[in-house]
Amino acid sequence: MVVILVPLLFGVIEFGWLYQRWLAAESVAAHAARYAGELGGDDPALRVYIARELGAVGIDPARVTIEVVPARVGWREPIRVSVRSQERVDLPFLFSAPIAITATAVARGELAR
Amino acid sequence: MRSDGGSAAVTVIVLLPLLLVVTTGVLQLGALRVLASRVATAADLATLAAVDDQDEAELVRSGGFRLAPDATAVARRFFALNLATLADELATSPDAAAADADVAAFPNVPALDPLTGWRYERPTVRIAAAVPVRTPAFGTLLLPRTTVVNVRAASAAR
Repeated sequence: MVVILVPLLFGVIEFGWLYQRWLAAESVAAHAARYAGELGGDDPALRVYIARELGAVGIDPARVTIEVVPARVGWREPIRVSVRSQERVDLPFLFSAPIAITATAVARGELAR
Repeated sequence: MRSDGGSAAVTVIVLLPLLLVVTTGVLQLGALRVLASRVATAADLATLAAVDDQDEAELVRSGGFRLAPDATAVARRFFALNLATLADELATSPDAAAADADVAAFPNVPALDPLTGWRYERPTVRIAAAVPVRTPAFGTLLLPRTTVVNVRAASAAR
């Protein structure tokens, strides 16, 4: 009985927690994309901003991979920021597995060079 | 003293299908909530991209904001680009979803949006879209495998 109910309970809790972090990463990616558009591409200031925002929503920046494409964006061109975080789901008696959550947003380059 | 462990086990076994159905539904609803948020973010970013680009000649001439002539096309393009990042979750192509979206520009203000009833005090671009997304776990519960996510987003020049 315990081996049925406990995994079910933990499944709801663990996935709820995972979804919360996914939404948080999504929000960070959207704001980061807009900031990247303002900066004109990848920039140390962008990395600092993302790390700070991730920390604020409880995601360890050290476990996150950030991708900015293109690294230098032209005016009015699209720029994509991806935040890939390694998370973990632990269900007692069933499995324990790493899960990668990816949040991506596309904004527009605003810097006229 | 008699133990009731056996009857509890029978109860759990009898209720197990119900528990699994509820758990599956809860997990799919959670995933759908995330997906709906991602579609809404896509619409937000698209309208922001459209209004970020001002008609510069008008800005220099009068100091006022005026939407660029291609504002709706830009909104549609960036909506498709953002939807493309979740293409695997969509039940249609990102381009088709963006093409079906109702994208409207309100260059003359104040304006009343006939679709949403929203009132705009600044030049605004609005997207209203119905995006079908995959909900496979609902399918296992004999519910529709596709759920339509309705989003509305508007951004104003400032």
